[in-house]
Amino acid sequence: MASHWPPPGHFALLYFAAASEFTRRSVENIPAPIHATGLFGVIEQRYPGITDKVLSSCAVTVNLQYVDLDGDDAADKDLIIQEGDEVAIIPPVSSG
Amino acid sequence: MSAPPSDPLPLTAPGITVSLTHSPLNPLTPLTFVKSPKAGAVVLFAGTTRDSFDARPVATLAYESYAPLALTTLLSIATALKAKHGLLGVAIVHRLGEVPVGEESILIAVSAPHRQAAWRAGEEALEETKRRAEIWKLERFVGGEGVWRANRDGVMGVKVEERKEERGA
Repeated sequence: MASHWPPPGHFALLYFAAASEFTRRSVENIPAPIHATGLFGVIEQRYPGITDKVLSSCAVTVNLQYVDLDGDDAADKDLIIQEGDEVAIIPPVSSG
Repeated sequence: MSAPPSDPLPLTAPGITVSLTHSPLNPLTPLTFVKSPKAGAVVLFAGTTRDSFDARPVATLAYESYAPLALTTLLSIATALKAKHGLLGVAIVHRLGEVPVGEESILIAVSAPHRQAAWRAGEEALEETKRRAEIWKLERFVGGEGVWRANRDGVMGVKVEERKEERGA
């Protein structure tokens, strides 16, 4: 897959598998910056119901690194998603 | 017919190659890569697409990946196993796009001086790949229903057709 370059003031959000089936797209541009902990809320606003059906079992990467956003003492709870970042929703994998 | 999607470049390290491709897999390619005069044992695993899941007939299977991340993960798996088991070579290739039933979706080849290390490393490479590589399988059952599979928890994932109906309602 080619790299996706979001326009100024935005980050790229990538969807795979069940996430892309729900949103009916593989990528979209979202205004930046936002708090990483607010990401699922932003997506839920655009796709009501996606948190329960899909996001609750998904991981998140920012610029190809997994981020830890679960709980008050999560390692990346203060992370800000910046303009130009590539963020991805990672459903449970099924290779092989 | 549209042009086939281009394949990402393989990632390599000394004695290691990992790749993703839309083309049919050739078992000789990873086998040849890992063979060495120092290797007394070569183990090749071929994962082949099945025609059923829980006795339900599967019409088609397709794989998609987050290629840059999946390749990084595969390289990390191969590098760790090479060090842990003293391997001479590791090659992992996974197919993307539609894979006709009965064709290979993944090939893993490992080589080692002796067979025990090669057997163990081959199995671990597959288990780690299934657990971690950012690759997803869509099974479409006879009748049209599609299901994204999830290795991690063994559930069937999200039924594509059901959700489409809900959105249309």
